[in-house]
Amino acid sequence: MDGMDWMASAMRAAQTQLETATHNLANVASDGFRRVRSTLALTPRGLVASESQDGAQGGIRQTGRPLDLALIGPGQFRVGNVATRDGAFVRDRDGYLADRQGRRVAGIGGPIRLADDAVIGPDGVIRNGAVIAGRLPLPTGTTVRSGALESSGVDAIGETLAVLTAQRASETAQKTLVAIDQTRDKAVNDVARLK
Amino acid sequence: MYAAASGMAAQQTNLEVIADNLANADVAGFKQVAASFIDVNAGGTLGLGTASSGKHPIFSQGKLEHSGGPFDVAIDGNGFFRVERAGTHAYTRNGEFSRAADGSLRNADGWALRDLRIPADARSVHVAADGRVTIDGDAGPNRSIGRLRLATFAAPEALRPLGGTVFAATYESGPEHRIDPGQGGPTIAFGMLERSNVSIVESMMQILTAQRAYEANAKGVQAADEMQRIANNLNRG
Repeated sequence: MDGMDWMASAMRAAQTQLETATHNLANVASDGFRRVRSTLALTPRGLVASESQDGAQGGIRQTGRPLDLALIGPGQFRVGNVATRDGAFVRDRDGYLADRQGRRVAGIGGPIRLADDAVIGPDGVIRNGAVIAGRLPLPTGTTVRSGALESSGVDAIGETLAVLTAQRASETAQKTLVAIDQTRDKAVNDVARLK
Repeated sequence: MYAAASGMAAQQTNLEVIADNLANADVAGFKQVAASFIDVNAGGTLGLGTASSGKHPIFSQGKLEHSGGPFDVAIDGNGFFRVERAGTHAYTRNGEFSRAADGSLRNADGWALRDLRIPADARSVHVAADGRVTIDGDAGPNRSIGRLRLATFAAPEALRPLGGTVFAATYESGPEHRIDPGQGGPTIAFGMLERSNVSIVESMMQILTAQRAYEANAKGVQAADEMQRIANNLNRG
């Protein structure tokens, strides 16, 4: 690895950081979205940006619709074969708890059928009157808030800063790269020139 | 760059939906619409931005307000009026009806209440909380002429908007269940209208948030473009 390789890796890392920040920004209105965190590390291969899921809880927003569910604490809803924290659910035509695309929400032991008087408790237990209709598979300690949604975990200002920082970092690396190239230009073309 | 552009498109959709809500804030029986978004991922952690996961009406109760119209009705509780136009059946919570020449009760768009005709001799009409309709006419006062029945759905969010305040049933919404008002369920408020459930203050807040998010995403597009320019300038020094 010489200086040029280092700077090229820095430009690639800045590119990845920009992609992460723009992906986060794009999802500033996606309920239940957890921001992707980008971390820079100095490795023998140069500067490398790697992504990981941020675990921070998004804000809880009251909606008043009883089938909107927000998770407080870790865990996810299982809808079809995807896991999500977006708890904007409805009742489907057969009375089952489902998302807006019609995929049923999995409880422990199958989909959950709701009666007109269904209540979803903070422990994730769904009761039709006094009868237990199902239970959401949640880690211990996680509670469910009915009538609320978890807003996107993205802070638009922070991500805009990340965008600008990535842009400047890329610029710095590019300038340095060009400076190294000019030095080599001198070494190769001027120092060795015979008058 | 495409992630940021998808964010701009999403906020554009969001703004259109909010603007539509605001435009209908004064329409009786109008239900506000919400757009929702999901993140798009192609296998890895790093995603491709966002995509709309659809627009859907929110059927929370609007405030009831005295209107004084001779045929105005409002639903206190869930359910819809059953209406038809040219053989098409539909559902609405807009109870701003007027009497047509054939005795049917129609709203401004020509949707008529099903199963109810006002006889020609009726001088005044009254609708009770349980939906029973009586008239004062030549044959005497308080003559019963029928009952307003309501429709409910297993999944009302899946109803398809036909424009304005009228909805059609879909496979996903399930078929209509006819119910009689009263009996602990929804009741009919006569001489009242249901205001739209759009909150102007809340909508304005949503517009501000959406605008800022749009701008932030536009910054992302600019930065991505700028970084490509920087990379292109490498060979020029």
